[in-house]
Amino acid sequence: MTGLTVLCVDPDDGEREQTVAALADADDVTVLSRDTLAAAGSVLADTEVDCVVTEYDLPDGTGLDLTARLRERAPDTPCILFTNADPDRIRTADHEGVVVEYLPKDMPGARESLVRLVGNVVAQRTQVGYPLPPEEDERLAALEQYNRPGMDAVDAFDRLTALTKSHFGVDVAFVGLVDAHEERFLSCAGADWETLEREDTMCTHTILQDDVMVVEDTHEDGRFADSDRLDELNIRAYAGVPLETPRGTAIGAYCMTHSEPRSFSEAELNDLRLFAEEAMEQLELRRQLNECEEAAESHSGRDSGPTGTDGSGSQ
Amino acid sequence: MSIQRPTYTFEGLPIGDVDSGTNVLVTGPALGGIRELTLRMLLHSSEREGTLFVTADTDGRKTLTDYEGLGGRLDFARVGVVDCTEEGVDDEAHNVHAVGSPADLTGIGIEFSSLYERLHANGAERVRTGVYTLSPFVVYAPTKAVFRFVHTLTGRIRTADGLGVCAIDPGTVDDQTLSSIAQAFDGQVELREADRDCAVRVRGLSDQPEGWQDVDLDV
Repeated sequence: MTGLTVLCVDPDDGEREQTVAALADADDVTVLSRDTLAAAGSVLADTEVDCVVTEYDLPDGTGLDLTARLRERAPDTPCILFTNADPDRIRTADHEGVVVEYLPKDMPGARESLVRLVGNVVAQRTQVGYPLPPEEDERLAALEQYNRPGMDAVDAFDRLTALTKSHFGVDVAFVGLVDAHEERFLSCAGADWETLEREDTMCTHTILQDDVMVVEDTHEDGRFADSDRLDELNIRAYAGVPLETPRGTAIGAYCMTHSEPRSFSEAELNDLRLFAEEAMEQLELRRQLNECEEAAESHSGRDSGPTGTDGSGSQ
Repeated sequence: MSIQRPTYTFEGLPIGDVDSGTNVLVTGPALGGIRELTLRMLLHSSEREGTLFVTADTDGRKTLTDYEGLGGRLDFARVGVVDCTEEGVDDEAHNVHAVGSPADLTGIGIEFSSLYERLHANGAERVRTGVYTLSPFVVYAPTKAVFRFVHTLTGRIRTADGLGVCAIDPGTVDDQTLSSIAQAFDGQVELREADRDCAVRVRGLSDQPEGWQDVDLDV
């Protein structure tokens, strides 16, 4: 558990101090502490935290009210009710879908358990609202290498997505990278999407597939039928091909969406695969180019000592 | 000399031992013996094990009665139920904790975590958790909440060296949703039934019998 920021919320000064002390004892953990729902809500509004640990009873609300706010701002962030409240006393009626961890304070060694639990829920991403690929850490490490394709690549992607949109006669065509918590659109023809919470994306399902994922009508698919966000974005039909690195790791998807339900012919899906291959090749080339440039930079950095020998042999 | 890793065993079933911390998804038709299969996978192989039921299809008391009928020991310090049915009622004597709705995944998760801690505190070194079945959650709760709940449940079982056995009837969810949910599990046990003959097949877990294996279930 390193480099984490934990928000600890407890109205009881003594208990809060003990919890903060236990959490801060772990290596490289920053703990922010607050005593009310309002104060904790302000922290969430302008600070990224990795985990929230909260008492259930707060002077101006409950720990579940806080979790509901967390799910709106940073839906993947885990929350632990660390509390004196018995489960029977916790009112969940207004918050049935937020899902939290629960740890009673009166267990022996409760604070040691809490420190372990914080580490586990963060590392295992246990409160995300979507399926996770089996090797998610490795996938994110691979994605890191493709994250900065540069402006030239964006122009190339803009040409590709514009072609895709007109070729298929769809509303939107895009290249998206599926990051830890959101999808980032490298190029998007027909809409101005920049990022989308990962739990609202269809591509987070596409990257689990070996081949193209087709959803002819989102309202008829159990994974997406209850998604208001897709309706807001006018997405009723979707086809997406996973973008796989040469080692077979899916880092994103090449996709098209439409505002009406529609089917896609096998010939159309084959064309979409070709567009996706082209996009992945662009990403791979940019990665290699970046790698070369970085190597050259570090090389010239090494050579450019006080004697100034760099460049002298390049003529 | 090799150190033997702790495992969970399944006496009388054609399923090999699995490592501590394993989560298994059991799939099969509701009327085809999946309930008995799930309950038998939860039978203890040692005194130090506990059992935690999360029931959404049948109430807590009936689950306990059926479990006992299959040879399960009802030691209520180490056996408990989170009853998620609409009709569920708290029953302290039988360690049954009612939530009242399969859509209230926050409430179910809290009761589950609380009961898991208590079974541990009462001396259950390792806990077998059975969910029978996931289907009502998928039907009544939002998809995102189902994923949060399944990850939370399997995550706790994994880190506590437990065993998770979660049943789902493929007839109640679409194939895509089922395969998305299956991502959260280490492996699957499929059950099929034809003319009262049942067979199981294990996928995704190591050291298991290959192909379909006959199993004697009362259907």
